[in-house]
Amino acid sequence: MFAKILIANRGEIALRILRACRTLGVGAVVAYSEADRESLAAQLADEAICIGPADARHSYLSASAIVSAAVVTGCDAIHPGYGFLSEDEGFADVVRAHGLTFVGPPAEVLERFASKEGTRRLLGAQGLPTIPGSGMLRDEAHALEEAERIGYPVLVKPSAGGGGKGMRLCRTPRELESSLKVSRSEAMAGFGDDSLYLEKFLDDSRHVEVQVAVDRFGNAIHMGERDCSVQRRHQKLLEETPSPSLSDAARQELCDRAVKAVAGAGYENLGTLEFLVDGKGDAYFIEINCRIQVEHPITELCTGIDMVALQIKIAAGEPIGMTQADVVSRGHAIEFRILAEDPANDFRPQAGQVDAYLAPGGPGVRMDSHLYPGYDIPSYYDSLLGKLCVWGPDRAQAIARADAALRELLVDGVITNIELHRAILANQVFIDGKVTTGLLDRVGSAPFVAAGNR
Amino acid sequence: MTGTLKSGANPGANPGQADPEKARRARQDREAIVRLADDLLPALIAKLAASGLGEIEVREGGWKARLRKPATADAGRRSGGRVAEALAGHGHAAPRGAAGHGRPDERDLRSRPEAETVEESDRIAARSPAVGIYHPRDMAVGMRVRSGDRIGSVDVLGVQQDVVAPVDGVIGSSLAEAGEAVEYGQELVRIGLPEHLAGETDLLAREPATLAGRP
Repeated sequence: MFAKILIANRGEIALRILRACRTLGVGAVVAYSEADRESLAAQLADEAICIGPADARHSYLSASAIVSAAVVTGCDAIHPGYGFLSEDEGFADVVRAHGLTFVGPPAEVLERFASKEGTRRLLGAQGLPTIPGSGMLRDEAHALEEAERIGYPVLVKPSAGGGGKGMRLCRTPRELESSLKVSRSEAMAGFGDDSLYLEKFLDDSRHVEVQVAVDRFGNAIHMGERDCSVQRRHQKLLEETPSPSLSDAARQELCDRAVKAVAGAGYENLGTLEFLVDGKGDAYFIEINCRIQVEHPITELCTGIDMVALQIKIAAGEPIGMTQADVVSRGHAIEFRILAEDPANDFRPQAGQVDAYLAPGGPGVRMDSHLYPGYDIPSYYDSLLGKLCVWGPDRAQAIARADAALRELLVDGVITNIELHRAILANQVFIDGKVTTGLLDRVGSAPFVAAGNR
Repeated sequence: MTGTLKSGANPGANPGQADPEKARRARQDREAIVRLADDLLPALIAKLAASGLGEIEVREGGWKARLRKPATADAGRRSGGRVAEALAGHGHAAPRGAAGHGRPDERDLRSRPEAETVEESDRIAARSPAVGIYHPRDMAVGMRVRSGDRIGSVDVLGVQQDVVAPVDGVIGSSLAEAGEAVEYGQELVRIGLPEHLAGETDLLAREPATLAGRP
């Protein structure tokens, strides 16, 4: 096991990793930017070190600043959290070159799964049905030709991307022609790589992902699936497990096939395989996330497994230490992403001081948040304030507990999406478990909020 | 307390003219002034008095109001008491302002009121440009430096980054040792301004910045 881990992230995930380190008896150093000097993780840590200015390019995205911080504080591993450098194989390589361990897949594994198109081919060869798509687009003529072969509607997607940036839905060749240029420049600005590919777009599909863990000895387990269909502009808002759209048999088959394919393709450490599930219940693989995910706590609530601790153990070269039969998922869990965004104002991100903060409690309630009264939310980073996760013996009880918890949760001083979550919970489509990924964008959030206020 | 009102948009607007566009704009201006005087200014004055700030500026429509406190404002009245202060238990005495600047930045004034009263010039120090190992140049206390002069370096994974004097002045006390691990923005060397050399003894007595929990 490691002696000391540098936590190269911020917000709630820095706190989550710090907690895992303490549970494991591993030392931890929180690396923070100047804007995060007063963050909860930096204050609760036994050690904290300022790595750069507020601009993430010179702090959380600076490989040299992070590795230097790890070296001078005597760390032997770096945990990248999610976002930032968490899936950057170049960074993982630099970390290793300085004799440190990257908490995540080894650099060569990250490299093998770096291209989304290549990953689909890799896992397709392992027997996973993948979403029809193109290879890397050479030019406009090639794009039009590929779109014809796949069949409209298609999604233009940046190969290096994530989080919906640079993605464009095209229903006609004309739309495709005009989208290519915009997507290319957005991809270049967002990821420094303008390569694009096409993916078949499924209307009214659900987003279901399978959580897996593979150690270097080839032991592999899955920890069930999560349903992330409640989205706004390709951004997840609310996640739940198990998925209300899958039968037990379908769930079992999907998870088994996913873990078999990913282990067969030589994956290592925690990973999430994302699928689109169409109206007939057929699942198509779209991409893999080679990191801990924002929504991991709902899997922890149902399985009782500390996934961050497991991730660290696997990176340290230890075996998973359990078999598939040991993984038992109980009940139902839902996560609500509490965001500093104004639903009434086109979800504009909010910054400023949190005047009052009160986390909810009660059976099955877990709040992962870096807020405290008086905390000044910096405007430089994403708007995630925390994650309210609620567990119940079944879905109905989880929803009831969630509503009670959302009513208790108090964040004063900035506008949040708490009321939107309550409105979603009260919506019949959600209660019936029938939300598809395009629903919120199609109807807009206003009807949800209006209905929730009644 | 002094206050000024300035119109950024349309100083020539004359409500007497027939041009409906001009009349509309003049009406908007009048409304903005009324809003400023009745609602904003009293609130601003209260806010300014309660804060540690020296100046507040707000914009309303095309109008801008700036309030400035007289320079004699009592800095000692500012008090801390935030959760942040109570939680800051790791003896983190390192840098608070922006790198390369001697004066505290806006954030300092707003959220980290200092109990001590320190002359701004006393706070001027050369800061670390990065996280790494500090290597000072051999420079005697009292030596004159120009703004931008290299007075040391920080080794970042084998790459040297310059530590430079942020202002013209003289070398003061060292705040970090040669070979010490330093963080971004950490104060490394005090820079005295020639006319403030008298304050130097006071500076030497102050606790040097240290890297929290360094191994």
